[in-house]
Amino acid sequence: MSRWPRQCSRTIGVPVRLDFAGLVAACLLAVLWLPIPPNVSAADKLIVYSGRSERLIKPVLDAFTAKTGIQVDLLSSGTTELVNRLKAEGGRSPADVFISNDAGSLEMARTAGLLRPLSMPEVEQAIPPQFRAADNSWIGLSGRFWIIVCNTTMVTPDQITSLLDLADPRWKDKIAIPNAGSEYLQAGVSVIRASLGDDQTKKFLEGLRNNAGTHVYQKSSQIVEAVAKGQVSVGVVNHYYVYRHLAVQPTAPLGVMMPDQQAGGMGAIMNVAGIGILKHTSRFDTAKLLVEFLVAEVGQKMFADLDKEYPLHPEVKADSSLVERKSFRTASVPLTKLAELREPTLLLIEQVGMR
Amino acid sequence: MTAVRRSSVSPLQLAVLASTALILLPLGYVTALALSADSTVWHRLWTTRVPELLLNTVSLAGAVALLALVLGVSTAWMVTRFEFPGRRLWEVALVLPLAMPTYVLAYVYNYLLGYGGPVEHLWQMVTGPQSRILSPQSFWGVTIVMTLDTFPFVYLLTRSALLSFNVSFEEVARTCGASQLRTMLHVTLPLLRPSIVAGVALVVLYVVSDFGAVSLLRYQTLTYAVFQQMTGRSDNQAASILSILLVVLALLFLLTERWFRRRSRFYQTTGRYRAPQRIQCEWWHATALTACLATVTGLAFGIPAYLLMMWSLSSEAQAMLDARFFGFIWNSALLSSLAAAAAVLVGLPLAYLASRKPTWLNLGCLQAAYAGYVLPGPVAALAVLVLFLNVMPFLYGTVIVLIVAYVLHFLPVGLQSLEPSIQQITPNLEEVARTLGFGVRETWRRVTLPLIRNGVIVAWVLIFLQTMKELPATLLLRPVGFDTLAIRVWLEASEEYYQLAAPSALLIVLVGLPALALLLSRDWRAA
Repeated sequence: MSRWPRQCSRTIGVPVRLDFAGLVAACLLAVLWLPIPPNVSAADKLIVYSGRSERLIKPVLDAFTAKTGIQVDLLSSGTTELVNRLKAEGGRSPADVFISNDAGSLEMARTAGLLRPLSMPEVEQAIPPQFRAADNSWIGLSGRFWIIVCNTTMVTPDQITSLLDLADPRWKDKIAIPNAGSEYLQAGVSVIRASLGDDQTKKFLEGLRNNAGTHVYQKSSQIVEAVAKGQVSVGVVNHYYVYRHLAVQPTAPLGVMMPDQQAGGMGAIMNVAGIGILKHTSRFDTAKLLVEFLVAEVGQKMFADLDKEYPLHPEVKADSSLVERKSFRTASVPLTKLAELREPTLLLIEQVGMR
Repeated sequence: MTAVRRSSVSPLQLAVLASTALILLPLGYVTALALSADSTVWHRLWTTRVPELLLNTVSLAGAVALLALVLGVSTAWMVTRFEFPGRRLWEVALVLPLAMPTYVLAYVYNYLLGYGGPVEHLWQMVTGPQSRILSPQSFWGVTIVMTLDTFPFVYLLTRSALLSFNVSFEEVARTCGASQLRTMLHVTLPLLRPSIVAGVALVVLYVVSDFGAVSLLRYQTLTYAVFQQMTGRSDNQAASILSILLVVLALLFLLTERWFRRRSRFYQTTGRYRAPQRIQCEWWHATALTACLATVTGLAFGIPAYLLMMWSLSSEAQAMLDARFFGFIWNSALLSSLAAAAAVLVGLPLAYLASRKPTWLNLGCLQAAYAGYVLPGPVAALAVLVLFLNVMPFLYGTVIVLIVAYVLHFLPVGLQSLEPSIQQITPNLEEVARTLGFGVRETWRRVTLPLIRNGVIVAWVLIFLQTMKELPATLLLRPVGFDTLAIRVWLEASEEYYQLAAPSALLIVLVGLPALALLLSRDWRAA
């Protein structure tokens, strides 16, 4: 290298740069060909960020488009990822509407000042107030319950009445649980903390951690699968994962237990999927049309049934395969508290050393 | 004197400095984020997660590197040094796993070897109902899946080195009375070392930055933990702390690797080589080789591809093949080729200067370029997003953001093959061309470029393939309504609709095949 003449290295840069400049220009031109999504704000179009998976939301949005002629551009991703993205984008966000599977995330978006309050008689008539933010900056659309799924060949229903029973050592290596990053787990533990206090929750989590061992899953559907195969006896998941599995494999030995229904028990843990209109949208009125569509009876039925969830509109019936909604009661912790409970809950989960 | 001073700020140098600055910006952002974290966050991570994560990550990378080294070098040796029926076929087939995303391979093996899966059923028919096989969701399970997917990196670079290898070195050794084994150990392997080390380095970087496979197989590594921190929490500080650990870990590794490579620098003295004489095989020898290669390619590509095909033929999967689907294919192919071209353009000056003028500055720039690869996808993407929003908001929401993220992330893949190819040309060749009256541009066009063409093509194809499969950055930065095949696989597979994910996964493989063909086509070899 030292033998490389210096005057050579001085001049060699010039033509190289010229060649590259041409190629770079060609590259940029090619980029400009790409279908860059138009950012012009047309009134007959909406951009929706959705933490609910595409399969479970697109048919509803398509029905909305068919009814109103409003085009919907959908971006599906993880719920917390989207909240992070919205925070980073701030006022420059192209999104008009945020749909989430978790009330805690919606409330977090609200407290971060991302959502716009809403005053619509349609919403107030359709959705009971406990399922909305106080200023309607987000509105719940469907209900989901944290339940215990069991393999009916291995467990009889009388063996478990409460989530807390799962900390019992006799379930060692027989439980599958979601990982610490799961919004469902975080919401569930938040409710338990609010109902029972930190000490009891911590003992419960330690038991759960020991019993689960390595059966910690990223996806709830994997938990249901593990229970169905008999790899573990019980698992903790949102109820619809069980019905989704049964829809594909009707003979799977799966049972749903609605926990904590005993006298004095805290009741089943509920969360909602919901919608909020973003503060900076220039298409507020169009976005309101979508909200109106989703809280109306047709939209409610469709939104809930696609994922086997419970509609929040009191007049709309849930899918007939689900446990009758009136047969069980719900924990009394308000959904709007989920966001503020989340940070200390995460700390507790990490202190216990769950994965 | 003035000439000397001006030479240190040549336009090429400026280009290198500019691209390095761009590459370092996201790293700087992440570092700042990590350093701004409260000490309790550091303490919490250090006491709860870090030791386990470090151990897991290092041991996985080590085990995969070792296995990939053995598998990659031995298969390259088999197809370049022996002549037997079907050799050409295996030569191509061994590269195919590169087109198979690791998360797809992980899923397929999860299905095949998992609890109650088909392989376990077979095994239990033989050995009784209670026996268990190796779980894919274990250290060795992850190691095997990752090895099967990454050994072609080593294979490819070793094979390419073996083919462009001047056999006269070996002949001289043999003439001087060295045995065949001795020649191999003392002449051939040392000459191949830069390529082998580069291949292993790619494997290690790939393993530590992989998210898809470890998450599907539930094996906790730093990258997986970063992803969990980012998707499970609304603050990104913990994620950036873990990312910094990962970057430090990778830089330590890269410095070691560089030290290894600096100790061995060889120049090809002519532009012409004689193809090595292949050893003609007896039938039993050929059978053994074929069995060996068939097992490897079957496990890494054949079986997964067959399953994907079967799933794609299911009626549910067929129902979703519509016009939208062709859009995804187009998006994927276009994005990947643009990203690959851009990365090669950025990479060439970096590699060139670092080889020809290995000053601390130039080597530092080159080293810095590796940072993007180890910065975990989601974190790098977040950094790119923040930078674009603050510096060039008018570009936000376009594919340019994505391409920048890809270049940042995959540049090292290109450098790993650009660098050795530039290093193999002795500067004398360029000097001679200049002495004989060629202009600088002419020298570059007629001497340098043809000699490094292999390296450029390999770099382009490797980046193309990697971009095709990339997930976290695409998820975070894609413009609304702009989905790629990888996104489709993820959207379906993360909801366990594996039959629906299969067509997209199969297409990632299919779109990758022409690129692989380019990699293996014969005409680029004889420069």
